[in-house]
Amino acid sequence: MSGTLNLVIGLAMGLNLIALGSSRLPMLIRAMSVQGVLLGVMPLLMESERLDWRIVLVALATMAGKGVLIPGLLRRAMRAANIEREIEPFIGFVPSLLLGALGTITAVALARALPLLPEHAGTLLVPGSLAAILTGFILLIGRTKAISQVCGYLILENGIYLFGLVLIHSTPLLVESGILLDVTVGVFIIGIIVDRIQRAFDSLDTRKLTTLRE
Amino acid sequence: MTLILHLILRLALWLLLAPLLPGIINKVKAWVAGRRGPPVLQLYYDLAKLWKKSVVLSQLASPGFVIGPAVGWVALVGAALLMPLGPAGSALSFRGDVLLLIYLLALARFCTAWAAMETGSAFEGMGAAREVSYAVLAEAAIIAAVLSLIVHTGSVSLITMLAPSPGAGAALLAAGLFTVLLAENCRVPFDDPNTHLELTMIHEAMVLDHSGPPLAVILHGASVKLLLFAVLLVQAVLPIGEMTPPAAAGALAAGVLLVTISVGLVESLLARLAFRRVPLLLTTAFLLCVFALLVAWKGDAT
Amino acid sequence: MTVGLLLLCACLALGTSLVLGYRRPRVWLTWTVAGAVLGLVAALRVLLGGDPWEWQSGFLLGGEAVHLRLDGISAVFLLLVAVGGGTGAVYSHEYWSDRRNPSSAPRGRAWWSALLLCMGLVLTASNGLHFLIAWELFAICGYFLITLDRERSGVRAAGWLYLAASHAGTMGLFAFFTLWASLTGSWDLCPMRTHPELAPLFWLALFGFGVKAGFFPLHIWLPSAHANAPSHVSAIMSGVAIKMGLYGIVRFSGWLPIPPAAGWVVLGLGATSALLGIAFAFAQNDFKRLLAYCSVENIGIIMIGVGVALLAVTHGDAPWGRLALAGALLHVWNHGAFKSLLFFGAGSVLHATGTREMSRLGGLVRNMPWTAGLFALGAMAVAGLPPLNGFVSEWLIYLGLFEVVTGKGTTAWIALPAAIMLAMAGALALASFAKAGALIFLGAARTEPATQAHECGYWMRGPMLALACVCVVMGLAPIIFWPALACAVSSWCPAWAAGTPPAPLATLGSAQLTLALVVLAAATALWWKSAANGLRRGLTWDCGYAAPTARMQYTSASFADIAVGWFRWALQPERKAHRPHGDFPAKAIRLERTPEMVLEHILTPVGDLIMRASATVRRLQQGRLQFYILYVLAALVGIGLLVLVGRTP
Repeated sequence: MSGTLNLVIGLAMGLNLIALGSSRLPMLIRAMSVQGVLLGVMPLLMESERLDWRIVLVALATMAGKGVLIPGLLRRAMRAANIEREIEPFIGFVPSLLLGALGTITAVALARALPLLPEHAGTLLVPGSLAAILTGFILLIGRTKAISQVCGYLILENGIYLFGLVLIHSTPLLVESGILLDVTVGVFIIGIIVDRIQRAFDSLDTRKLTTLRE
Repeated sequence: MTLILHLILRLALWLLLAPLLPGIINKVKAWVAGRRGPPVLQLYYDLAKLWKKSVVLSQLASPGFVIGPAVGWVALVGAALLMPLGPAGSALSFRGDVLLLIYLLALARFCTAWAAMETGSAFEGMGAAREVSYAVLAEAAIIAAVLSLIVHTGSVSLITMLAPSPGAGAALLAAGLFTVLLAENCRVPFDDPNTHLELTMIHEAMVLDHSGPPLAVILHGASVKLLLFAVLLVQAVLPIGEMTPPAAAGALAAGVLLVTISVGLVESLLARLAFRRVPLLLTTAFLLCVFALLVAWKGDAT
Repeated sequence: MTVGLLLLCACLALGTSLVLGYRRPRVWLTWTVAGAVLGLVAALRVLLGGDPWEWQSGFLLGGEAVHLRLDGISAVFLLLVAVGGGTGAVYSHEYWSDRRNPSSAPRGRAWWSALLLCMGLVLTASNGLHFLIAWELFAICGYFLITLDRERSGVRAAGWLYLAASHAGTMGLFAFFTLWASLTGSWDLCPMRTHPELAPLFWLALFGFGVKAGFFPLHIWLPSAHANAPSHVSAIMSGVAIKMGLYGIVRFSGWLPIPPAAGWVVLGLGATSALLGIAFAFAQNDFKRLLAYCSVENIGIIMIGVGVALLAVTHGDAPWGRLALAGALLHVWNHGAFKSLLFFGAGSVLHATGTREMSRLGGLVRNMPWTAGLFALGAMAVAGLPPLNGFVSEWLIYLGLFEVVTGKGTTAWIALPAAIMLAMAGALALASFAKAGALIFLGAARTEPATQAHECGYWMRGPMLALACVCVVMGLAPIIFWPALACAVSSWCPAWAAGTPPAPLATLGSAQLTLALVVLAAATALWWKSAANGLRRGLTWDCGYAAPTARMQYTSASFADIAVGWFRWALQPERKAHRPHGDFPAKAIRLERTPEMVLEHILTPVGDLIMRASATVRRLQQGRLQFYILYVLAALVGIGLLVLVGRTP
């Protein structure tokens, strides 16, 4: 069981790196959405012995939300705001890729040192979540366009979701659905803000926002 | 006596089979594009014709211009002889032979670059600069792949290193080595062997001035190198050493064919990368090999 | 003759050359070469006989009895001194002759003999006090040799930098030897593995000797000194003198108890130094600076070997340490041989054209075939390509690293990145030397002096041929050097004394020999076939452009541009570009320079800061007597207060 789970988490980690290395927005959004679908599959895999209608529901909601709804919104925003597809990196692609890989390796090594329950020690859940959080941060720091930063934020949220899965027995999945809802609302708001920024500055380059500091 | 016979057979196998690969790739490309394409044996005809042609030397070239290709060819064939061939084993095997193989490839690279610089052409300088620079990343990827095999098998000689199945990291290793194969053999998306624009070439730009027998030697060496990487990839990924000899031979042949067809498909379906993206792809290949290494490490530790 | 007698004769011969050779170059050459040969024989006797030679005087010198010792390790380095010193002396006979440099050549001869003598003393001294004296004399000889051509301001600046850096290192060594003496109660140097209180001294030795060895980031003096010195001096400084620093590290890491972190630090420093050193080399436009940075790389490679050996010692004398240490010591010889060869080649080019800028040269292979061929051989050796010697030692070091990895201990976490960095350094070395060789010797001559170049004479060609032979022989028959290496390794760590080679050196040697023979045959065959088919000469195919000029060729900066971009974070290259504009563009410029990053971006700013801080103190210097009397009074009062406060319990 944990073999399949680890494989899925490994794939999600690979998608982190693809997100870091991709130079075009659609690719970045696609990596993020595939990662969302993988994340949606995970609770089903973990709880395959005692499937509950609530778990199935949340899994489906996650897949729909992270895999279809949010990427769809982003793509629409991209089209609506006429954003160029090329990403302008603030930290270059190769350095961010290397940083991400280093972060992943460190996360795996670090998770061994953490006092985890024995059933979690064998899986990659915790390192996977750490790696996704780190990837999100690198994207947030290292990309200049608002939309790629949104993607970074979502990958960061994926990491938090992964961490939540560790607690799948003790926390009701309601919390998770709450987060999901928050994020969807957040993306809506960001979509509106993106549109406003685009109108106000004629560009989505967040560097231009520095003029607002006073 | 049998030893010499064995060696001659092995050499003949490498030398005669190698030019088949570019032919298959071209056939696959033609098939995807809906053309008939050149015959599979086209490179053999080309080589035979080039071997008989006279040579035009640049006025600036010294004898190194002809010696370079010869040394490069010997280095590539020597590297091929070190590579074990499934059930047939290897012609010479010792601890650390994998390093000799890697450095023989480096020797071939040095000689090609040296011969290219002989002519004083800016295009050839450009090609040589690209070749030696991208090789830095490719070399890192290859050594990471080798280290992952070493970690997995605990052995430092090719024949035992390539025998068992590489475990969980096989897919990562395969992807990494395949990318290195494309880069080292100057295939799409790193370089386009059919391009006609010198500014965008890597390997082809280095051999612009060669003609006649030296060009034949270069082309043949390049095909040996392609076969070498294909064999390495297949043996690193498949558990050749755990099969019966006929099955192993079959698997090896089928694997090499599959790799060749994949190269052809990649070439038909992908466009050449912009040069500033090449380091990114090579870094990805390196990281794939590094993760294969870590998987091998973790898989064996538990 | 016994070893002692041989060494005495060598010493006397060098002394004679020092005294008699000032005005008579031929006499000097004879005696110096005789001294080198005697030293060589002495080193070989120790290495092949296996017994260390020791001698203690009955008299006192500076309050201490003279204690000399020549064991396996010092013999390895003495052999290098003898070979480098002898070939360099022959080379300088033509290169820095009385005719060309009437004022500095006699001085150069004297300092050369003195340098060889001092290096011999450093290697044999077994008393801390005498070691320090010999070390200091050796450093000063180096300074005077570097500044032989002291009319040029660049040379003087390089000399000062060398002297300052060298003394910073010596400061560390003063601390090291005095602490050693105070902790052990004697200046005598001998194995102290069982005294754990000495372990922290290792770091002092690493710093003090490291400055001389020139690994990253202590290499600041090395590029400018090696680039500005006369080429025979560069050869001995780069091939031999920086190895004295390594000698110190190897020697005292064999005698001191090793702190647990030592192997990790040395291995990490070595790997960093290998990769960054060669990245800097690749970015250089001046071929002697390129060679100098390449020395930083090779020192790094040697340090990787030493680091693995140290790791092995802290992990219960694991057998892989023996492999890596043997590789490191072999690389000491190899680097000495091919780096001297390359610097001699560079000297011939400089001699013939008068410029060190690669982008002003080109096409020299037509006028200087010998130099070009030998430089190409050296370039292949330094890039670690089979079948030459550089590959053999790198192969041993790689094997040591691989064995660490197969052990799967925590040590593998440093060995894995080190192996990957070593591989990248190897590929960059290949790129650097493809660039250097090709830009200097191939293509068309880019400037007037390059067209007028002339081949060097026999006195310069001879030593280059000899060193090239050394490179080839060590590559094709590494097994014959094994007994000497085994002796040195066992004197570093007696537990590794077993006789058989730890790696299939003989198989590797036969493979390399076969390769060399087949290469020769194939090259001849292809040349013959091409000639038989008919050779025509034509214009270079430049995409059909019919009037190519020499200035269209790729230059040093353009060749290195791709890889330098990857290392921009470390190299900090400076670019000055003025692009052409308009339909009739006026002047366009593009300049690239890679400065010495550690010096210009770290040390100089820090130095400026200190200078500014000191400038505020200088305000106290008023020049008026009254103020000075005030200071005296203030000082007296201060001391008085100190005494008062200090007395109260």
